[in-house]
Amino acid sequence: MPLNIDWQQILLHLLNFVILFAGLWLLLYKPVRKFMRERRERYEKMENEAQKKVAEAEEKRAEYEQKLAGADAEIEEKRTAARKEMDGYEALRKHTAQQEADAILAEARKHAARERERAVQEARGEIADLVAEATDKIAMKTASEAYDAFLDAAEKEEKQDGGDA
Amino acid sequence: MTKKQTILFLSIVLAVCALLIVGIVLTDGLYERTGTIRDTMQDAVLHENDKISLFGLPVNPGLISAYIVTAVILLFAAIVRIFVIPRFKTVPGKFQLVLEEAVGMFDNMAKGSSPHRNKFLGAYIFAAAAYIFIGTLFELIGIPWQSAAGESVTLPAPLSDINGAIALGCLSYLVILAGGIASNRMRGLGRTLKEFSLPISMSFRLFGALLSGLLVSELVYSYLSLSFVLPVIVGVLFTVLHALVQAYVLATLTSLIYGEVCEPYVKKPKKSKEKATKHEVKA
Repeated sequence: MPLNIDWQQILLHLLNFVILFAGLWLLLYKPVRKFMRERRERYEKMENEAQKKVAEAEEKRAEYEQKLAGADAEIEEKRTAARKEMDGYEALRKHTAQQEADAILAEARKHAARERERAVQEARGEIADLVAEATDKIAMKTASEAYDAFLDAAEKEEKQDGGDA
Repeated sequence: MTKKQTILFLSIVLAVCALLIVGIVLTDGLYERTGTIRDTMQDAVLHENDKISLFGLPVNPGLISAYIVTAVILLFAAIVRIFVIPRFKTVPGKFQLVLEEAVGMFDNMAKGSSPHRNKFLGAYIFAAAAYIFIGTLFELIGIPWQSAAGESVTLPAPLSDINGAIALGCLSYLVILAGGIASNRMRGLGRTLKEFSLPISMSFRLFGALLSGLLVSELVYSYLSLSFVLPVIVGVLFTVLHALVQAYVLATLTSLIYGEVCEPYVKKPKKSKEKATKHEVKA
């Protein structure tokens, strides 16, 4: 063969390289590659976990923010409800007070009417008394004169009895 | 360092250099060149006269280099597998970082070039690149070996042997072919066969690149006057750089073409429909 090309030697070279390739693959390339892959996977796993945790934290933060916003809304809602309730209560109290006031007023009116009636009655009684008194007084004026006459008569009689004794 | 000390240092260096040059010139005549530079270079390419006996089979020195390189790499890998890999840490040390970078680089290259099927490709280009890189650097050591004729031969890079280069080029093509068939059946086969020149180009690129280094080195070492300083530059240029460049080129080419043939087939929209759509748009 030209250039000293020898098929047998080519095959011997091939055999040599195949042995080298197999040996290098098993002894060096595969274990180093495996180590690198495992390390990469470990770091990727760590990164994924970190990202997952960050995502979870973000999710929780969003959830808390939402809850916070919800709490604000809830507080506002409760405040509104409380205000409404207070208004209702106030209205009820007003109404009750009004009713009580009306009742008191009605009672007072009733009482006043009764008092007036009583006063009128008393006044009537007093007037009657006054009239009777006046009448009595008028009558008494005559009676006193009579009494005086009686007394004078009695005194005269006594004097007479004394004189006789 | 005072001026006096500097002068003394330079004088000693110059004296040592002068003595070495005298020694080199005097000893040059002791060794006679066995052949011409043409013969030397022809031997470097064809290995006709420096065959080595492998269990009685005459083979090129490159094959012995290939076996030694494989043994060294596998021994290193076994030591790393037993003693280093079980002690790998999550935060890597220097050596672990080098290993991870080497594996990660070829793994990423395979994933980038062939996103659909890359597990085998990554391992293949890693092994091929390691073989080319360490095999080329092996040339720098210059291990002497006895040839079948009883002469001393310096073991070259495994891929400066054309048989080694052809083996690696053809194997790369077969890997691409297998990937194509596994991914796209007959379409993958067709796509790979379309690149019929690939095994030849890959083989001869490797062979040419590594042989050029060897030839230039041979030329440089053949002349006494070129033996000063220049071998360092030549050695770096044609050995270290070739080791890096050729390993990268073969890995890149193999992974790119593998990715092309393994790419899933996507049906193109029919022309009639396109025309109909155009008519609808016009209307």
